[in-house]
Amino acid sequence: MAIDALFQPVVLFFLLGALAAFARSDLAVPEAVAKTIALYLMMSIGLRGGGEVAHSGLTSAMLIAGACGLALSFLLPLPAFWALQKLGRLDRTNAAAVAAHYGSVSVVTFAAGSEVLRAIGMAPAGFMVAVLALMETPAVLTGLLLAKRGEAEGDAFAARGGLWHETFFNGSVVLLVGSFIIGVIAGEKGFAPIAPVFDTLFKGMLCLFLLDMGLVAARRLMDRRALSWRTGALAIALPLANGTLGASLGVAAGLDAGSAAALGILAGSASYIAVPAVMRLALPEANPGLYLGMSLAVTFPFNLTLGIPYYAWVASTLHGMLQP
Amino acid sequence: MTETIIRRRIEVLADEPLIPAIERIAASAGIEHYTLLPTLGGMGHSGRWRDDQISGATAKVMFMAVTSAEGAERLTALLSPLLATHHLILLVSNVEVIRSQRFD
Repeated sequence: MAIDALFQPVVLFFLLGALAAFARSDLAVPEAVAKTIALYLMMSIGLRGGGEVAHSGLTSAMLIAGACGLALSFLLPLPAFWALQKLGRLDRTNAAAVAAHYGSVSVVTFAAGSEVLRAIGMAPAGFMVAVLALMETPAVLTGLLLAKRGEAEGDAFAARGGLWHETFFNGSVVLLVGSFIIGVIAGEKGFAPIAPVFDTLFKGMLCLFLLDMGLVAARRLMDRRALSWRTGALAIALPLANGTLGASLGVAAGLDAGSAAALGILAGSASYIAVPAVMRLALPEANPGLYLGMSLAVTFPFNLTLGIPYYAWVASTLHGMLQP
Repeated sequence: MTETIIRRRIEVLADEPLIPAIERIAASAGIEHYTLLPTLGGMGHSGRWRDDQISGATAKVMFMAVTSAEGAERLTALLSPLLATHHLILLVSNVEVIRSQRFD
């Protein structure tokens, strides 16, 4: 199963991008194109998830998965914060900023993980997209509380509610939730005419985006001034611990193996799109090279290559043991 | 010969998420006219940085305004305490302008 997951085109294109960057190739995806594809991926994920929820209706499994996701996003930054301070030797502000990233989620890791899970016969339920959206923001609130920056509204840089506006109306959150709601409203009938764009093209676009992410992650790793061996090791240990917890919680809560694996992928992933922009505004003293270096240059490649198959293995093994 | 007057040119290199706050601070210093310039990348004390439109967290934008000496002093005073904590670069220089009333 792990080998099958590693040889999916989405993973291979990511590795190609990383290899090109390490070889100092001039290969590049224009920033505006990468940004457009990121928007496309979020729209597609939201629409497809919403369409599946419209088909299946509101179920108890959906509510349970949502509650698990919310709890994980609120609570995962707490042990991460402790580990980053004690083991990573980070100060309070940097530890809180990094912890928020590890409580939040990576949309692209989820998208790639869902494709891998489908390819190995463990397709997650459509409502996991709603869980993804739910898990984007709570970790930011926990991170800010950990940094004791509840008074951040008084900061000249966070004046006029800009921080909370950025937290709740971040572009990726708005697009993901908005597309999900449109998917629910449109249903299968409404989705059918636009399916050639948002469904058929999805895997190919994801490959192109991951080619770029391979380039970006590897170049950031080569510029890794902010990372120490301690923070580099934590960037692997945190997703492993969080992903194991997420997959185990999913199985214990009664989710199917694919959805539990998806919950593990969400818990094990670290944000590098939504949260960095919020943290740059909320905790400007925190080092963006540190939190982007950890989440994008180490955790993201780890999850894409080894993490996703591992979370799938945890979920399927536990599911087999607990719910034969 | 065209008459020119000396004014102050202020440039602030800041991470993109901080730009709305820079605009507010500039307005509070009486500077309401400015230009935002995109950047491609560079090498600073913390290492290399590049245009980053995916997260936007480390994409940098140059805020540029031309104003009077008093306006420049007010903005410099407001931004100086934030330079180190917010990783800003602040440049102030003299420039010659035509139509000086536009830059008071």
